[in-house]
Amino acid sequence: MTTLPDSMSGALLLSGIDFLLSFLFISCIGVILYFFPKLNKLGEITEKKN
Amino acid sequence: MDTLFLTLMQELLNQTGLPALTIGNLVMIAVGGVLLYLGIVKKYEPFLLVGIGLSCIVANVPGSELTKEGGLFWYAYKGVENLILPPLIFLGVGAMTDFGPMIANPSLVILGAAAHLGIFVALISAKFFGFSLAEACSIGIIGGADGPMAIYTTMKLAPHLLPQISVAAYSYMALMPLIQPPVMRLLTTKEERQIIMKQPRYVSRLEKIVFPVVIAVIVNLFLPPVAPLITMLMLGNLLRECLCVDRLAETASNALLNVVTLVLTVAIGSTMAADTFLTPNTLLIIALGLVAFVFGTGSGVVCARIMNKISGGKINPLIGSAGIASVPIAARVSHLVGQQENRQNFLIMHAMGPNLAGVFGTAISGGIMLALLVK
Repeated sequence: MTTLPDSMSGALLLSGIDFLLSFLFISCIGVILYFFPKLNKLGEITEKKN
Repeated sequence: MDTLFLTLMQELLNQTGLPALTIGNLVMIAVGGVLLYLGIVKKYEPFLLVGIGLSCIVANVPGSELTKEGGLFWYAYKGVENLILPPLIFLGVGAMTDFGPMIANPSLVILGAAAHLGIFVALISAKFFGFSLAEACSIGIIGGADGPMAIYTTMKLAPHLLPQISVAAYSYMALMPLIQPPVMRLLTTKEERQIIMKQPRYVSRLEKIVFPVVIAVIVNLFLPPVAPLITMLMLGNLLRECLCVDRLAETASNALLNVVTLVLTVAIGSTMAADTFLTPNTLLIIALGLVAFVFGTGSGVVCARIMNKISGGKINPLIGSAGIASVPIAARVSHLVGQQENRQNFLIMHAMGPNLAGVFGTAISGGIMLALLVK
């Protein structure tokens, strides 16, 4: 496994990768949530507690 | 007779912790007192600070058996060290959280990533000040404003910094109503702060049940290092939303959460021993934590302003700061600042979306750090 250098360049690289991937992952979650209303076409679940 | 009496007294004195008491211990006992004052008198996160404050005091009284191997606080710390307590906290948090506002407005989840710039500003600053990369990541994650995640990441990357990082994270979360509003006002105009947002859509029960299952699968698939935390969050939320295991949801969100919080707070406080806590690095970590919170708040607000421009003035930029996580404190701060500008403006439900997304934003950041640094 390639290791990140324990230096300022390592910190900058890690921060850049992490910040971009955070946006990517969160955007993917947003895209999935965008389609959530389609689930309601499958049916309805009663709101009553058992 | 006199000599025997004095010898016995000397022996008794040696049995106490008094001979080992240092100035450092006294300073830390005072720190514990301040934490108790903030919790009890100022009501800043009393559920956390009361336990942390007293156990900090006890940990600095030489002779106390509680923090030594085999003592109760020592066992409590084992729960943190073995990463058992943070996932259990998330189970309780999931059982008391309605993710409806996040599901209702998917476009706002991006703020959960935007408001984490502070993590990276603190990380790079910590590296600049000479911390190792693993330590810098642990310090940076303070900016995620998520206590269990900060503890979890720190225990994996730099366990020796646990007391400083957990105290900084929880203290700043408690102080968010003081830290965030000036930054929010500085970066927005009065007109923007007065924007009234459209009512979010209704989220059905089916959507709320599917949500934790989908997120659990995604996180276990793509972010295994933080999967234990998010999976437990989603399990707690599923217990709440499925409406057929009320007793379990009730236990997870009340009794269990209270017990775990109690154990976690004494575990954190008991690590605040003078010899490890009273170092120049502690002050530096606390200062970097503040930097992380300020930049995180600012980047969230700036991103929300951009989204407001793109949407044609439909998004109040104040909700951007809620993306920093710290549920629901940050959302409440957005709401209160909005109310100060316009009494008719109720931002709380709108801010809860980015606020909940912020939990995932912190988890994603922490997960990527762990994936890249932990072998």
